[in-house]
Amino acid sequence: MTKECPKGRKAKQSKEDMVNLIDNVEQKDDLKYNRRAFLKSAVGASMALGLATVPFSVRAMMGLAEPDHDRVEIVRLDQLPEGESVTFYYPTENDPALLIHTVEGNLVAYNSACTHLMCPVFYQAEKDVLLCPCHKGYFDVNDGHPIEGPPQRELPLIEIEVDNGVVYATGRQYRHG
Amino acid sequence: MGKKTCWAIIIFTISVNVVMLQWTIEAFLGRDNEFVLIYSGIGIVMAFVAFLTYWNWRKIEYKEDK
Repeated sequence: MTKECPKGRKAKQSKEDMVNLIDNVEQKDDLKYNRRAFLKSAVGASMALGLATVPFSVRAMMGLAEPDHDRVEIVRLDQLPEGESVTFYYPTENDPALLIHTVEGNLVAYNSACTHLMCPVFYQAEKDVLLCPCHKGYFDVNDGHPIEGPPQRELPLIEIEVDNGVVYATGRQYRHG
Repeated sequence: MGKKTCWAIIIFTISVNVVMLQWTIEAFLGRDNEFVLIYSGIGIVMAFVAFLTYWNWRKIEYKEDK
């Protein structure tokens, strides 16, 4: 009686020693995908993740000091009654800002792009708050800090000064208070 | 330091660096420059630790082969 060698798909399950020699066909994969290769990839991933933070820190170091901004006229004070606001652009034409004459009589100015998703922020005189209508974010009008809703950071503060009845923007602070 | 310790340290550095990268980007977008430097510093140190640990593991692993 002769023993037949299994062929094809069932060849691998066979207990015949000579048949199992075909496992050597996968030798390349065994050399390529093994424990050592996995650890090397893990080290590479860890180093890549750590070094990926470098460009951010370099950029942050370059921008540590906010550059000096020009003194820009915003509006005449007599044209801005209490409880009103006016939109202006500072420091560039791409940075919309709000000058607010609060119901308490204070003058404050902030960049008006919401710190959540950059929607424009409006002054609500009835509640004396700044409102971002996109996702109902509220900011304190006195210091620009978020008080309700999704925003987590304060609005950039525009430094202002009043000279001969004219309000000027003189600088900007990103993180304040 | 054994091989298992090396593995544990390397896996640990990966998890720390994932978090550090996330926090660095968040701090960068929030213009918290000091925090960007802190998180980035930790990330770089962890990358260095991973490399040194790998070097140590390599010595142990390939010495056994000889």
